[in-house]
Amino acid sequence: MIDPDLVSLTITLKLAAVTTLILFMVGTPLAWWLARTRHIAGFLVEPLVALPIVLPPTVLGFYFLILFSPNSGFGKAWTSMTGSTLAFTFEGLVIGSVIYSLPFYVQPLQIAFSGVRQELLDAAATMGAGPMDRFVNIVVPICRSGFVVASTLAFAHTVGEFGIVLMIGGNISGETRVLSIALFDHVETLQYARAHLMAAGLLIFSFTLLLIVYTLNRRQAGQFSRSDSGS
Amino acid sequence: MEINADIHLTRDPDFVLDVNLTVQPHGITALYGPSGSGKSTLLRLLAGLERGTRSDRIEITDGKNVWQNKHSFVRPEMRGVGFVFQQQQLFPHLSVQGNLNFALSRQHTEHNLDINQVYDWLNLQPLLDKEIRQLSGGEAQRVAISRVLLNGAKCLFMDEPLGSIDVPSRSRILPYLDRLHRNLQIPMVYVSHSYEEITYLADHLFVLDNGKITSQGSMLELCSTLELNSGEGDAAAVVIQCTVAKHDHNYRLSELDFEEASIFVNAEQYQVGDSLRVRIPAKDVSITTTRPENTSILNVLEVQIVSFEESTGPSVLVRLRRKRQFILARITKKSLNLLGLQPEQTVYAQIKSVALLMESIND
Repeated sequence: MIDPDLVSLTITLKLAAVTTLILFMVGTPLAWWLARTRHIAGFLVEPLVALPIVLPPTVLGFYFLILFSPNSGFGKAWTSMTGSTLAFTFEGLVIGSVIYSLPFYVQPLQIAFSGVRQELLDAAATMGAGPMDRFVNIVVPICRSGFVVASTLAFAHTVGEFGIVLMIGGNISGETRVLSIALFDHVETLQYARAHLMAAGLLIFSFTLLLIVYTLNRRQAGQFSRSDSGS
Repeated sequence: MEINADIHLTRDPDFVLDVNLTVQPHGITALYGPSGSGKSTLLRLLAGLERGTRSDRIEITDGKNVWQNKHSFVRPEMRGVGFVFQQQQLFPHLSVQGNLNFALSRQHTEHNLDINQVYDWLNLQPLLDKEIRQLSGGEAQRVAISRVLLNGAKCLFMDEPLGSIDVPSRSRILPYLDRLHRNLQIPMVYVSHSYEEITYLADHLFVLDNGKITSQGSMLELCSTLELNSGEGDAAAVVIQCTVAKHDHNYRLSELDFEEASIFVNAEQYQVGDSLRVRIPAKDVSITTTRPENTSILNVLEVQIVSFEESTGPSVLVRLRRKRQFILARITKKSLNLLGLQPEQTVYAQIKSVALLMESIND
């Protein structure tokens, strides 16, 4: 019999990894668009993306429950496609986590993208580089640490989520019981030794990740700032 | 390649760019005007870096193909235009060599430029192993220009390329640009608000003001017009083009051929046959009706009076022609009347000071 805490750890890591991967695919173009657009829609989308930072996770969770319900259009379509509902499943958790962690991925990347000077993109364009070429060979390498920071924050934030999981995931061992929920369980059932182990583990993990993020931030600030300034 | 543009673009409520221009297939075409006159916007439109809105009328062709009109728009990556920006255009995550390789692997055309030749023109060899942040402003611009050349651009656009460089470095980089222009058979468009840069480099000139072209034509001819020099006071001057004929090392003087006459100046650093530009301030030119003899002034040219400035002050500018080129003289109204000068009359211009253009830029 595997230790149920290890199962929770595996689920947590899997959830964070899948969420970060999806954010990489969805959040990257969104961040690029937000960094470059002068379209009026940008003013609406930007606060929308930031909402999960200030909204109580239970509010999001509540709306997700409603969305996932077989009575809603989205829930009905999902059920007819997959044969199961989204509420209280791992897939449901992934969708919730992507939205919940979106600002933590998009915002640092958007800031990094905004720092890419238009001259560089214009120069690359006049040299024959198309949009994808410019993005892959100019933007991505210049914003490398922005990508690391964004992915790390999104990953760590997903590992640390609680309220939204409780609302839409419930507490099903092997399916939706992530570490933060397991910790809550241990405290509820007065298993303080296990709770200590888990809390300390999460603390050290989060601190290490943030240490990496801030080190990278500092280094990026110094990296390209003095390039060809004419001195 | 001969770029034709017919542009009517409204930007903000109060700025309208309304121009019609042709970029000559050879030589340097300069867009000159104060900041805010629309010259940079015009250049960016030509390159496809901006495209205006639906309500603007923008028609650009390269002589064969349409670059932009109501129905089509060729993206900048397909135009084969090399663009040198004012500053900060080198990719900071690549080395100098990496920047050049980026251009080499995306060539617009199979160019037959010898890479080492380009490095020679721009003295690039010492910079190849450097990181971008180690370069000075002037060095960075030399790398940027080489990068554009190695890219096989079919024409070369420069938007205030010396704008970010300190003044002493400017006069060091100008000869590089001049050398390019002699060696390349592609059109160049040069945007600047510096009259010195323009007079040093340009062959064709468009003067822009507030979104409109106020004058256009050959630079050498335009810079001698009374319109452009009136109101310049003592700064009124012309630029003329000469060829080095021979050196007299005894006196450290060189004889320049100017429209089949001779001008003497110290130009030992040039070689016989070099073409160079010389600046003559109008206040240093006087007029005599007979050929002066026994004078210490070496440079005396037989010229024809073209026109006089309408002036309310004590002095007038006189435009003088020698074959295809012009010079200006500033004389007093009193002398004008005493000598009875008339248009078409043949007179002699005594030139007290002549400066090679590089020297006048160094001031």
